[in-house]
Amino acid sequence: MKNRNPAGTVSILLFLGYMFLPILATYIFSVAVRWDRSILPEGLTLDWYRTAFQDRWFLIVFTHSITLSAATVLTSVVLIVPTAYWVHLRLPKALPLLNLISTLPFAIPAVVLALGLIKLYGQGPLQLARTPPMLVLAYVIFTLPFMYRPVASSLEAVDVRRLTEAAQSLGASWPRTLVQVILPNIMPGILSGGLLVFATVFGEFTLATLLVGARYKTFPMQLVYYTRRDGRIASAYSVISFTVAWVTSLIILWVATWGTRRSAGRGVQGELASQQASVGGTV
Amino acid sequence: MSYLDLEGLVKTYGEVDAVSDFNLAVDKGEFISLLGPSGCGKTTTLRIIAGFETPNRGTVRLDGEDITQVPPHHRGMGMVFQSYALFPNMTAWGNVAFGLRVSKRTAGQIDQRVQELLELVGLADASQKYPAELSGGQQQRVALARALAIEPKVLLLDEPLSALDAVVRVSLRQEIRRIQSQLGITTVYVTHDQEEALSISDRVVVMRKAEIEQIGTPIEIYTSPKTLFVATFIGTTTKFDAVVADGRSGRVRAGEIDLAVGQDLSRAFSDGDSVSVFVRPEAIRIAQAGETVQADNILPATLESVTLLGPVIRLSLTCSGMSLVADVNTSERSRFARGEDVLVCFQAGACRVMPKQEI
Repeated sequence: MKNRNPAGTVSILLFLGYMFLPILATYIFSVAVRWDRSILPEGLTLDWYRTAFQDRWFLIVFTHSITLSAATVLTSVVLIVPTAYWVHLRLPKALPLLNLISTLPFAIPAVVLALGLIKLYGQGPLQLARTPPMLVLAYVIFTLPFMYRPVASSLEAVDVRRLTEAAQSLGASWPRTLVQVILPNIMPGILSGGLLVFATVFGEFTLATLLVGARYKTFPMQLVYYTRRDGRIASAYSVISFTVAWVTSLIILWVATWGTRRSAGRGVQGELASQQASVGGTV
Repeated sequence: MSYLDLEGLVKTYGEVDAVSDFNLAVDKGEFISLLGPSGCGKTTTLRIIAGFETPNRGTVRLDGEDITQVPPHHRGMGMVFQSYALFPNMTAWGNVAFGLRVSKRTAGQIDQRVQELLELVGLADASQKYPAELSGGQQQRVALARALAIEPKVLLLDEPLSALDAVVRVSLRQEIRRIQSQLGITTVYVTHDQEEALSISDRVVVMRKAEIEQIGTPIEIYTSPKTLFVATFIGTTTKFDAVVADGRSGRVRAGEIDLAVGQDLSRAFSDGDSVSVFVRPEAIRIAQAGETVQADNILPATLESVTLLGPVIRLSLTCSGMSLVADVNTSERSRFARGEDVLVCFQAGACRVMPKQEI
């Protein structure tokens, strides 16, 4: 920057402050002895982390949240990827409809979704209401845009139609084409979608509370419980939650670049890197 | 009986005819080009042969067997696409091996065959490269090797050279022809480039607006076009709008010009009928005004422009308000200057006469 524009610098600083000050404050608060009577924290301690880890609920809620996140990612990959592929390949006219459906969850508040599901599945043969599987299914709907969008843009980027026809002319059936040709090439989309879904579900509170509540306590529920008792332990929980999101991204990034080396790998890295900031904000 | 038979193929999209009543018999080992402007139905026809489109009516027969309803992955036809369509996640080797793996060959057989094919297309040392690391021409060679690897019953190529630059295009098309002849593989080649079609095909199918205009060897298509469209679409040509003046002695009148066309027109036309007369630019000779020349037709003309095309220069001329095109050897370029008055000379036998119709 040769010509420094003060207005530009100020707006960038404001933006960075807006984004990172709360996170920074959370980190500091989680290691502060006390930070409510003075400008600077009164000493540093790891006691709040010790308390958090020693809580007998910690491992339970952690496992629950990881299980929910993983189950949601798997379910949505299995449901959404073949559907999106098929629509791109055979029903391109239905794409606008699919795009619309995929943004609907943004328009439906979690409360409405939860109450609707309880009402609908409260009776009848399925008896899914208020069970973790139902929560997973609700999460699949809730996070549909996060999974669908990156998958759809990957599908658009690789010309699935031509690749499918090429594979078919070489004798491959369509399931084989999907697994060996299409999936590896849209992996960046699936991974970034999966990452967003994982992070969103790991930090989700409303649906979990309304749909299953204390029967299947999740990490955010425990976090909320602590915000009412001791903000410093709650901060420690938040930091752990951030860390989970970062570690998941790194693991997925590592797996992705290891699995689809070279040209495809570079694409994965770029796309995932651009998703990480938003993940930090989601959790 | 021919090897690949297309009988009465019809394909419509809504109200639009993509292909209407397409009939073609391809012999084993033959190289056929489908040539025409975009939207003429050539690609749709190819996709029907490949099985990617189902015709509304008609039959596709391969070696006597009706395969109209057979899905593409059971047809055993290798396809090469304009956009290469290589699998980006696989190396050149992996791409060529894909079809062989599907057909469950042993690892040894696959290795040997892939090696053979990469050598055939001249890419043996690029086997471990990914498509993104190869040039367009190299990618299309890999695509060709991939299609040939499965020993396809028919090789289908959909504008395979359109995305490549001119030099690569010419060398690769010669190579496609060389490989095709070497393997004796039946080939259907779609292109909108007439030079491409004429230079590599055994027979050319010229298409327009979903219909076949003419089927013939390249030389037939070039020298004896059957329709006005073929005459104007293939190569460059000068067209005179004329009326038959004396059909029996082969004389027509175009505006103020009398032309000898060297054939008895009285069987096909009556005197006074409107006709179009075509003359190829290479059949025209240019003489200086005042020079003594011998030709059936000698017309005074003015030179409007001179364009260098490489081995020849193309002259645009006007003669009594009509435009003409003539090609002369580039070595003669110093003889011509714009605005000059010259004589246009051509033999009666160089004229091709057709009924006048709108294209």
